[in-house]
Amino acid sequence: MAKKLERIGVFVCHCGQNIAGSVDVDKVVEEIIKYPGVVHAEHYMYMCSDPGQELIRQAIREKDLNGIINANCSPSLHEKTFRRVVSSEGINPYHQEVANIREHCSWPHSRDRDMATRKAIAIIKATVERLRLNMALIPSVIPLTKRALVIGAGMAGIQAALDIANSGYEVVLVERNPAIGGHAAQLSGTFLTLDNALCLVAPMIGDVINHPKITLYTYSEVHQVDGYVGNFEISVRCKATYVDEEKCNHCGLCVGACPASAPSEFDRGLSERKAIYFPQPEVVPHPPILEVKNCLRFNGGECNACQEVCPTGAIDYTCQDTIAEESVGAVIAAMGYDLFPRDRIGEYEIDPDVIDGLQFERMLSPNGPTGGKIVRPSDGKVPKEVVFIQCCGSRDPEHGVIYCSRVCCMYTAKQALLFKKDVPDGQAYVFYMDIRTDSKGFEQFQKQAVEEEQILYLRGRVSKVFRDGDKVKVWGTDTLTGKSVEIDADLVVLALGIVPSDGAKAMARELNIISDVNGFLTEAHLKLRPVETLTSGIYLAGTAQWPRDLPDTIASASGAASKVLSLFSRKELLHEPTIAFVDEDICVGCGQCVSVCTYKAIELDPKKKVAKVNEAVCEGCGACAATCPSKAMKHKNWTPSQFFEILDVATRGYT
Amino acid sequence: MNRIGVFLCHCDLNFSGDMDLQRVVDGISEHKDVAYATYCRDMCLDLGLESVQKSIQEENLDGVVLTSCSEALHRDAFIEAMETVGLQPHQVNIVDLKQLVGWPHSYQGEESTMKAIDALSASVDDLRRHVSTSVSNVSVVKRALVIGGGIAGIQASLDIADGGYEVILVEKTSSVGGHMIQYSEVFPTLDCPQCIETPKMVEVGQHPNIKLYPYSEVESVVGEAGNFTVTIRKKASYVDWDKCNGCGVCQQKCPTIVPSEFQRGLPFGPRRAIYIPFAQAVPNKPVLDREHCGHFTTGLCQVCSKVCPREAIDYEQVDMFVEEKVGAIVIATGFELMPKSGVPEYEQDKDILEGIEFERLLCPGGPTAGEILRLSDGKSPKEVVFVGCCGSRDPEHGVPYCSRVCCMYLTKMALLYKHAVHDGQAYMCYIDLRTTGKGYEDFVQRAVEEYGLVYLRGKVSKIFREGEKIKVLGADTLTGNSVEISCDMVVLGLAMMPSPGIKELANKLGVKTDEFGFISEVHPKLHPLETSVPGIFVCGTAQGPKDIPDSVSQGGAAASKVLGLFSKDELTVQKVAVG
Repeated sequence: MAKKLERIGVFVCHCGQNIAGSVDVDKVVEEIIKYPGVVHAEHYMYMCSDPGQELIRQAIREKDLNGIINANCSPSLHEKTFRRVVSSEGINPYHQEVANIREHCSWPHSRDRDMATRKAIAIIKATVERLRLNMALIPSVIPLTKRALVIGAGMAGIQAALDIANSGYEVVLVERNPAIGGHAAQLSGTFLTLDNALCLVAPMIGDVINHPKITLYTYSEVHQVDGYVGNFEISVRCKATYVDEEKCNHCGLCVGACPASAPSEFDRGLSERKAIYFPQPEVVPHPPILEVKNCLRFNGGECNACQEVCPTGAIDYTCQDTIAEESVGAVIAAMGYDLFPRDRIGEYEIDPDVIDGLQFERMLSPNGPTGGKIVRPSDGKVPKEVVFIQCCGSRDPEHGVIYCSRVCCMYTAKQALLFKKDVPDGQAYVFYMDIRTDSKGFEQFQKQAVEEEQILYLRGRVSKVFRDGDKVKVWGTDTLTGKSVEIDADLVVLALGIVPSDGAKAMARELNIISDVNGFLTEAHLKLRPVETLTSGIYLAGTAQWPRDLPDTIASASGAASKVLSLFSRKELLHEPTIAFVDEDICVGCGQCVSVCTYKAIELDPKKKVAKVNEAVCEGCGACAATCPSKAMKHKNWTPSQFFEILDVATRGYT
Repeated sequence: MNRIGVFLCHCDLNFSGDMDLQRVVDGISEHKDVAYATYCRDMCLDLGLESVQKSIQEENLDGVVLTSCSEALHRDAFIEAMETVGLQPHQVNIVDLKQLVGWPHSYQGEESTMKAIDALSASVDDLRRHVSTSVSNVSVVKRALVIGGGIAGIQASLDIADGGYEVILVEKTSSVGGHMIQYSEVFPTLDCPQCIETPKMVEVGQHPNIKLYPYSEVESVVGEAGNFTVTIRKKASYVDWDKCNGCGVCQQKCPTIVPSEFQRGLPFGPRRAIYIPFAQAVPNKPVLDREHCGHFTTGLCQVCSKVCPREAIDYEQVDMFVEEKVGAIVIATGFELMPKSGVPEYEQDKDILEGIEFERLLCPGGPTAGEILRLSDGKSPKEVVFVGCCGSRDPEHGVPYCSRVCCMYLTKMALLYKHAVHDGQAYMCYIDLRTTGKGYEDFVQRAVEEYGLVYLRGKVSKIFREGEKIKVLGADTLTGNSVEISCDMVVLGLAMMPSPGIKELANKLGVKTDEFGFISEVHPKLHPLETSVPGIFVCGTAQGPKDIPDSVSQGGAAASKVLGLFSKDELTVQKVAVG
């Protein structure tokens, strides 16, 4: 048991009016100075400011304090600041504690000054009791592997990987699709500058493939993540392609010979591909892959057409998935997005001439299924009247999601503009709720679309889309005139909302990071730690976190890379020592703690039959300590005796 | 150069739609110095470049003119590819036909074809004058300059410093913190910046790798990426900060009262002539405002000097100049609001406030200690109208762009107003509701459903005083009716503009700005942080309006660019000599 601290100083912060507005700080100081063990107490307007910190230092020196209590805001904000202050005066940082009298007291009791003051005093007294029993702790040192894993090779993943690799560190980049570039590679002219997406993306893809520091796994998935910051062990499942990369000379005879076809994922079903096919041939030379789902041979057939024609004997039907193991120190999650499932909007009929935004992008792309020509999928005619419908699934809590998908206003304006360039005598209509063009140059771009191309913007939702003979009927309202609107369209383009990529939730679970109700990954702090997660060493980039456009994706990816670079600039890592520990004399080895630990930090020692805590992995959540039936598992500086002292003091006078 | 080749990029259908590429090729072939001309697809891809390389070797070319969309985006790759077939940088010219011809002359087939031929032939003539390429190596000074100590600059500085490199942080006011520290609570989490930003400010002040120059400005910059020499003007504060301990006695005793910039000049919260701008200032040191100080205006007062226990007041102090060597620069100079006078239809009145003034009223550390009062009579306002798009999205009076944050901050203010005045009514006039960030849409829903905010879609045409009340005339475009509200207070969501002095600074640094003064990025999509000068990066609202999360993530991103630069010991600089 640690030696009791008997020269305690208490520092009460006003937090401007946040605390002093409802807590009588004079009274608090007056009361607390009488409490046993407290030899100094004072209050100040902002204890976290430079002069506030100086007050603490001065008091430590003058009064020879050996324990410090800061009564102020939540410890998540300033515990670090004050621990640094006490350490600079030679006191162990764990002999400092925060008494939270703002979130726990002055804010909830802002209308009852008397009550708030009494409660503040009780909280501080309880914290004094806890502090007395605190152990002096030293952070543990853990090693650091200076390699990063980036999950997802869309624009976010590519940018993050390039930034890290260009700074001289190795990167493992894993992409589950056979080709990299993500959705960006599917786009046509990108909004604002109308640069062709391929011109933007292809050079970056080339950089990734040729980069000596980047190990790229395509057609592969991260399927297991173990370890902790600085020391993650990753296993990657590389899916079988049935084509030997070494032997293949990219001649393409196999593709020609293959009798089975399937809708092309890359063209979003607007074209067909074979069961053995080249993924994105125009970007980088890549051997074809054989996809089991549509291959006749793998579905009970006798076919071996591809193997027969292959001049180099590269086709190998016995190929198996392989597992690769990688050690990394940091992980960036950049799993990207999918479009909102089209069939969940029942009011909009499934029809070949009702397509989604990405399908329209493929149509506009010079390397797309129509060679850049806009035609109706049903009959191949050039559509004259095209209706674009925004907020399909977005901002619609009843059918879809509550949030705004952020990019649809701009891409719809761009698509309407490109349609007009291609079909100058056509008419484009856009149904919208609010026009959200809030980045640099966006407003001007959208205005230009309206003014120069006479695109008709209608403010209102579309209630029904259905086929009516040769046309597709669109029923909607114009809320600005209050009238209902009916348009006979040749083609309807749905701006479907952005949802997290399929499988992102499972990946989040594997990474032990949180995702929100919508499935987007949750950051450590929305405003100030936007690219970090609560699990140290794991960072976020791009649309896996929230819908965003290319510039914002690039910025968030570079932001995540900078966190990794900061981490890698250290020699080793320090780990917070307020973690679980086992009293081996009491532990009976029941293993209940093992099952509640979400960090996989506890295992049973097979010889001694007691629990063992991996100190580097334990995050100090306390679940094991609460679960342990014999009270053998404890949390450093949150021991049961400390809890009982706190309860005793805090409830005195209330019972 | 005797055998010059011209290669046009088809750039798919992007800009060649109106231009007759074959005629351009025929036209430029007639140029006396052109030995070979052709067009090919997808020059930015490896396959396209390979075909160019092949032609160079087959035709034995000793100079090439290439066309591309954005030169900034493709230059490095083109030069590198040409070097592999033996052409040096001075033997390569790149013409941006998209911006030069494709865009300005869309739908003008003939004109664009002729202009393309002219542009290419001018480039061929230029190429003929190139004599040699000189290559020099610059060793990288691994220290960074960050200009501006708002939240973007703070984040960039901390990330670079945490990456193990020294940072020089220059802030023109006497404390870091920027606009964020003036706010009451920030959307959508309603954290108070005094709680969440101060730890970062303190960290900047205490970080061993950060050298902070408060109350200083960048005077001049010379040099190039990897090696800039920066002269910093340390403005005279008339206080010796080495002696000063921030006790604040000087500002308590100073007899001269001046409106406080930090409190946006609000009547309840003036400062003195010698002052620390706000309680949490980092560093916590006062500056003396010479323009108002009694000592400098009348020569009589010496109160601060007499009361200072450390004898830190120095009336003789002058501006000092310091030179620092850095390898990279981050511009994070932030924004300022458009002046209220920018919208003449909205009368100048005490009860018509701009956003930051209202933030100060809401702030517990503000002049009214968080109480919402009318500045005219000190009464609690029962009806408040929040007006969006004041100056923004208004090319006739103000600026054409959207300021991106006003929809959210006005909603937040209306909500906080309801927290303070439970029986009050808040109205919000908007054009389009733009709430695209994480948790923003839910936030607005909450404001409407739980707090009964009334949203009116339409522009406000006139705001003026009528007796006790302020009259707001507008329209509700959803009902088509005109709207007239007699209210007690109006809060204007004024447009975000670049910080004053940005153009001057941009000139010193040699970086480009747009017409409004926001710093231009090399490429809005793929290089949103790089400016037109290598080694100089931009983040936060200096680049364009954005909210705190986006500023923070850009600050970190700019840092990553700097860290990337600093991972190299030397940079190679190629220069083309012209005969």
